[in-house]
Amino acid sequence: MIFLTVGTQFPFDRLVKAVDDAFDEGVISEEIFAQIGETSYKPHNFESVVSLEKKVFDKHLKKASGIISHAGVGTITIALNNEKPLLVMPRLKKYGEVVNDHQLAIARKFEEFGHILVAYQEEGLAKKIEQLKSFIPRQRKSNAKAVAARISEFLHKIGTSEERLYRRKVDGAFIKSKIG
Amino acid sequence: MIKGKENLRICLAASAGGHISQLLKIVDNWNGYSTFCITTTEVVRDKLRQRGKVYIVGECNRQHPIRVIKVLVRCIKAVLRERPDVVISTGAAAGCMVCFLGKIIGAKVIWVDSITNVERISLSGRMVRYIADLFLVQWPESAQRYKNVEYVGAVI
Repeated sequence: MIFLTVGTQFPFDRLVKAVDDAFDEGVISEEIFAQIGETSYKPHNFESVVSLEKKVFDKHLKKASGIISHAGVGTITIALNNEKPLLVMPRLKKYGEVVNDHQLAIARKFEEFGHILVAYQEEGLAKKIEQLKSFIPRQRKSNAKAVAARISEFLHKIGTSEERLYRRKVDGAFIKSKIG
Repeated sequence: MIKGKENLRICLAASAGGHISQLLKIVDNWNGYSTFCITTTEVVRDKLRQRGKVYIVGECNRQHPIRVIKVLVRCIKAVLRERPDVVISTGAAAGCMVCFLGKIIGAKVIWVDSITNVERISLSGRMVRYIADLFLVQWPESAQRYKNVEYVGAVI
């Protein structure tokens, strides 16, 4: 099963229609399940829903052999965490699909690193769906730990700063005077 | 008021979706801090519950000024009630507002610009840069381009 998801904030007619068209062309033999948000185009080749509860979303995700989505960081993260092959089509500003072209930038980078497949236009989508079947995503090495450590260090500096220690002392004296 | 590690009350502010998932990647490496969350939609409430009280302020962007005001009012209420010592945000618009509100009440501001901003920091990030006490980006290229911006690594 291929899981198509476009997020819930904005519609994404271009992608949903392109996948539906690919089905008509006979490129897709697998079953598709789609979460299409406020997209006005209604696909006729597969079942689609507006939104999914987290639990149901996760169930479809686990079951899927591949995922097709917009290039949202949320979805990309989920796909990488679950080691699922992902094909994205970036939302573009020129079509009013998003406020800026950040999705294009992240799609390019992650494609370059071998984490995801990207279809930049509707025309290339069918070929990429074909590739998705055998695509093995390269796992990403996250530096979240290092970032968290940097922030912790900063928090420690704030927590023990002269200014804070003074404030705490004043607060303490104030509370003591109230109690005592 | 309940305070955690380092005696600090920390506000985690980010929009639902990629922004909050990046913030959680950081927070998952911690424990002991006293936190609460400000986010934009109900969808993520369950995911955040274990990180303290959750305030839902609604979605907004620059194209809908009236919605921005509604969201701003909810952010003000949350910040005044919780009085954080630190605000940590990954964006976008709502996170940016919370940073400015936090700064007004004397909180320290930590901004981690979203990984989607490859060559250039986000619009919200560019505004928060003026008031941020710690500003991190996730690509070395953009750290070189701006002053007082640090690159430690990407959280994803």
